[in-house]
Formats: sequence, structure tokens, C-alpha cells
Amino acid sequence: MLEARRKHAKFLFLFIFPAFIVYTVFMLLPILNSMKYSLYTGEGLIPNEFVGLDNYIRLFTEERYYVKFWNAFQNNIQFFIIVTVVQNVLGFFMAVLISRTFKGSGFIRKLSFLPTTLSVLVVGYIFKLILNPYYGVFDKFIEMIGLEQLIIPWLGDPRSAIYVVAIAVSWQFFGESVLFYTSGIDGISDSIIEAAQIDGANIWQEIYHIILPSVLPIVGIVTILIFIGDFTQFDIIFAMTGTRGDPNYSTDLFGSLFYRTAFSSPERGGWGTGMGATVATMMFIIVTIGVGVFLTFFTKKKEELEK
Amino acid sequence: MKKLLLAVLLVAMTAGLAFASGSQEAADGGSDKVKLVFTSWRTEDIERMNRINDAFTKEYPNIEVDFQPVKDTEYDAQLQQSLAAGVGADIIFLRSYDSGYQIYQTGSLQELNSVIPGLSGFPSAAIAAWATDGKSYAVPSVGVVHGVYYRKSIFKKYGISVPETWDDFMAACETLKDGGETVFAQGTKDNWMLYEVMYSGLGANFYGGEEARQALIAKDARMTDANFVEAFERMEDLQPYFPERFEGIDYVTMQQIFGTGNAAMFMGGSWEIGIFEDLGGLEDVGYFAPPVAKKGDTLQYCFHVDAGIGMNKNSKYPEEAKTYMKWVASPAYAQLMMDELPGFFSYTPGSYTLSNDLAKQMQSYVADSVPTVRTVWEKLSAQAPSGNQLLGEAVQKMYADELTPAQAAKYVDDGLSWYY
Repeated sequence: MLEARRKHAKFLFLFIFPAFIVYTVFMLLPILNSMKYSLYTGEGLIPNEFVGLDNYIRLFTEERYYVKFWNAFQNNIQFFIIVTVVQNVLGFFMAVLISRTFKGSGFIRKLSFLPTTLSVLVVGYIFKLILNPYYGVFDKFIEMIGLEQLIIPWLGDPRSAIYVVAIAVSWQFFGESVLFYTSGIDGISDSIIEAAQIDGANIWQEIYHIILPSVLPIVGIVTILIFIGDFTQFDIIFAMTGTRGDPNYSTDLFGSLFYRTAFSSPERGGWGTGMGATVATMMFIIVTIGVGVFLTFFTKKKEELEK
Repeated sequence: MKKLLLAVLLVAMTAGLAFASGSQEAADGGSDKVKLVFTSWRTEDIERMNRINDAFTKEYPNIEVDFQPVKDTEYDAQLQQSLAAGVGADIIFLRSYDSGYQIYQTGSLQELNSVIPGLSGFPSAAIAAWATDGKSYAVPSVGVVHGVYYRKSIFKKYGISVPETWDDFMAACETLKDGGETVFAQGTKDNWMLYEVMYSGLGANFYGGEEARQALIAKDARMTDANFVEAFERMEDLQPYFPERFEGIDYVTMQQIFGTGNAAMFMGGSWEIGIFEDLGGLEDVGYFAPPVAKKGDTLQYCFHVDAGIGMNKNSKYPEEAKTYMKWVASPAYAQLMMDELPGFFSYTPGSYTLSNDLAKQMQSYVADSVPTVRTVWEKLSAQAPSGNQLLGEAVQKMYADELTPAQAAKYVDDGLSWYY
């Protein structure tokens, strides 16, 4: 028995070891290294002057830094809320719809996942083209249906830009949440649903009492994935509104803030590598805390429902 | 288990053999030819630069130059990283003043005074953009000017002559607007143009050009002074003539609007000649310098030191790189470059003929003007928030009606508090 277990452990080790090495070298060490750099300052890419927590103090006490940091934080929350609503709520109902078998449901399933296969940059550029105020088709379409007074410079107006970007991202990853939810719904035993239907439950009762409780862990997973994705989102901002999160930082998220501050020259918005690493570390902390909060929340909710 | 080990070993050995033969081949093929890598932020110039470099290889057959530009927005990050990692290009395009200086600070640039004795003959203002304590770290290579492009046919249609004063300019705008034309192709989605071309180029006549800029650097003047505010006010005059929903129009779109003949004017830089040439030809495109305040005023001409060429101190082929650097500082290169890249002006002493009409026109204004460079490019952009960023943001906010000209000036001044 003991011999078998030892053999088993050896086997497990063999499986985990390569992944562990890759993870350590390409994930863990860079994260620790970047945390180290957040304690340094200096010219060039590799800061060499140890300053302790000075960078953090400056980030939160000097106006030139904290204004941009909190602005990105606020934008990120707004961005996260929009994406969560679109992806979770719409994704869920879409999944409910297509998990019912009807003509073409399989086709819709495939269709909804299609955008996810595109590159984020491509999606960004496509949306930018569609929304271009000069030759974009979106404005032409709105004109055609007679609503031209509603047209605004979508990506040039600080009030609409963050929504547009969030919707582009939601559109792209919509299929992912649909996929998660349909697999959850497909996993519910048919007999339970049949029983409910025999008992006379309507579609809303069915969703509320049967589907929702069974897919709640998936809501948690999807939300946490969106959270991590959004608080580290960079590509779509880069493609649609540039590293400054134009217009005037209204679409500046942590990802673009970090890229700009760490890698741009000072004249283009750089803060030096040390401060950049500080921003990265703060992002890491915020994401970790956020994931912790969501995990606790969803675990608790699940326990409540299971009682 | 044994089988697995064997397989792993086999794979490793084959891979090793493959690599070994690969490097053998490389050594055989390139035994006497040296390849220098040249990097820049001008991805649009690959073909033109290749033709220039071919001329060099003709003269020095054992040196090949591989032009590998990186997208403008990623250039600085890439350059810093590659230099730090020891895999940087041999020949490097450097931005002027603070940006180039940041690279110099990393200790990866060759000091050039001893390599290129001819440097002392370059205009001192150009040298200053890439030198510290008398040490030059780049050959001043490219200067650009800022002004206004216009469509000859549209101007002709309304009988408008090239405006000299601001009043003429405004009158022309009004006429064009009344005629239902798109007056400017300008948009404000990307803010760098608003500052680098418009405020620095067209504003210089109002804030007082080089003298005012020097006063700003010397801390004898502030952005909130009346002359700088006036320049903001003049920029605001232009807003009514921007296209509909200009807030959403980005840089590429503006070039397309003007380049395809859909707007009467475009406030731009000399580097755009090639772009307009590619978009629809230059026969119908004219150019005039920023209009002065009143007749007889001296033009304050923003002739900006744009790019210098530096050399990687840690290049694998230092001697060949030095040979190339000497060539880059020669009149032969200057002439070639100005032929291939119209709108880029060389600082290399010598007499040249410009083959492009627009470039000639741009140059024609130099004689009777006072040259200056972009308002807050030097020293005022060395830290966060940089003058460059602040001015771009201020003008953008002004065009979005969030700030008045006076508030915009104050926005820049407040942001520059680290400097004062």
C-alpha cells in the first residue's frame, strides 16, 4: 500500500514538475522581480538605487501620480461593471436560450463563440473602423434609420469612450461566458427539469429555482475571470484609444497606465521603471484582494443555497 | 521509463545536431559580410531607407545595413529593453532632447566627437539637441517644419490666395466654411498633433517663438503669461472650422481626409509629404508657413530637430558602425536622404538641391524667419508630467470646451510645477 502511494507520488511529481518549472521561471520570478524593482529608482530600464517604500509613498501622496492612478482605478471599476453586466447577464440568458433544443440552436452556439477566436487587437481595430466618425459604417447606419441627432464622436467623447471599449471587449468574450453557462446548464439532470415542468413551473421559476442555483459556481468563475481580465486589460485600450487612454485618460485602465508609466519615455508619460513596477505591484495586490473577495462571496452564496 | 529517457535523449541530440549545422551554415555564408542593424520609429520609410542604405553598401561592399523600424508608439520601450538586454540595434534613431538623453543616460551610446570630427561644423542648435557637457551622442540628422497644407483646386474655386496674416487665414476659413467645404481635416482624438504641430507651429508667431521658449526654459516666463495664453486663444479660433465630430477623428483619418482631397487644409508637418504623395498625388497640394499676426511681422518658424542618429556603444561591429556613422554625417547621405524622404531636412553642412516642390516651398521660408523648436520639448519634458503631455492634454481639453484658453495655459503651468 505504502509502496503504491509512493509510486503514485513519484508519478504526480513527474506531471507537476515541468509545469512548476515553467510557472516559476515565467510567472513567479518575474512577479517577484518586478516587486523588487518597485523598491528601487534610477535611470534606464533597470533601476539601481534602493529607496525602500518611497515609490509607494510617492504614488499615493504626489498629485501627478495619484490622480492618474485613482483615475485608472475608477475607470477599471466602471469597465468591469459594464463588462460583467453584458457578459454575465446577457451570456446567461443566451445560454438558457440555446441550451433548449430548437432549429438552429447549434448554429447559434457556434456563432456566439466565433468572436472569441479573434485577436483582441483585431477586434479593437475593427471597432475603431466601424465607429470612425468620418467613414465608419455605424454612424451611416444610425443616419439611415433616422436617428442622426443621436450620433456623437463615440471614441472621442469621454462620456461614451469607456462604454464603447467595454462593449467591444464584451462582444468578443461573450461567447466564452455562453460556453461556460451552457455547459453548466447542460450538466443539470434532465429529470430535475422535467420534474419541475410537471409541477407546473414556468420559465422564470425554472431559471430562479433550478438553473441559477446549479450554475452559481459558474457565475463565480466567469465573474472572477472577467475581473482578472479587466484589471489587467491592455490590448483593447492600446488598439482603440492608445496608451494614454484617450480622450484625456477617460479610458485609461491599469493595463495602459502600467504600460505607459513603465515603458514610455518621460515626455510621453513615463514615470521610470521603478514607479512602473510600483504600479504593477499595486495592480497585483488589487487583483489578488478582488479575487479573494469574490471567492469568499461565491463560496458563501453556494453554501447558503446548498443548505 | 527507460524508453522515455531514450526518446528525450534522442530528441535532444537531433536538436543539437540541427543547431550545430545551422550555425555552421551561417558562418560559411556570412564570413566576410557584416550586417549592421539600424532601428527607427519610421515604419513607413522601409523602402526608402533601403534604397539609401544600398548606396552605402555600394561604397562599402562588406557592410550591409538592415533597416528594422519599430512602430512609433512602441519604439521607446523596445529600444530601452533591447539595449538593456544587450541585443540592441547597432545604429539607432534618437528623438531630440529629453528622450534621446534618457537613452544616453543608460550608458549605451557611443560618444561621437572623436569619431566624426566634422560634427563641429553642424549648426550648434541642432548639435545641442543631442549633446551634454560638450559630448555629442547623435548626428543631427533630420529636421522637420510645421505649417499648413492646402488644396490648390479648392482655394482656386473660391479665389483665395495664400494667407499671410492670421486675419487673411481666418477670412479664408470663413469663405470655405460658407461654401460648404470641410475647412480643416483636423481631429482631436490623438492629442500630440494639437501641441506639436498646431501650438508649436502656428502658435509660435503669437507667443513669440524662440525668445519666449528660451525665457520659459530659463524660468523667466510662465505658460500663464499673456503671450502664451494668446497663442491658446488663436488655436481656439480654429475650432469652428474642424469637421463634424472632430473629437473622434484620429491622426490616420485626418491624413486620409486631406490626402484624398476631402478637406481644404491640413495643419501638418513636413514629414507628411510622402504620405500625401501615396494617398493621391501632390499636384493639387500646396503649402504655406504659419500665418503671422500682422503684415511685416517676422515669421517664427518651428523647424524642429526631430531625429538624430546614434551608435550603440556595445555594437558587435564597432569599426563598421563607425564607418556608417561617418557616412551618415556626410553631404552625400544628406542629399540622398532629402531626395528619398522629401520634407525631412538635413543639418549636414553643404549645399543641396531639393527635388520636391513642397519641400522647396517649406525651405523657402527659412531665410526670412527666426527658427525655433517645439515649445516645451527641451528640459520641460524631462519629468512626469511632461510639458509635452500637458500641452497636448490642455489643447485637447480646450477643443472639447472643457477649458478656456486661460485655463488651458494654467493647466500646463500647474502641471509643470516640478520644474519651477
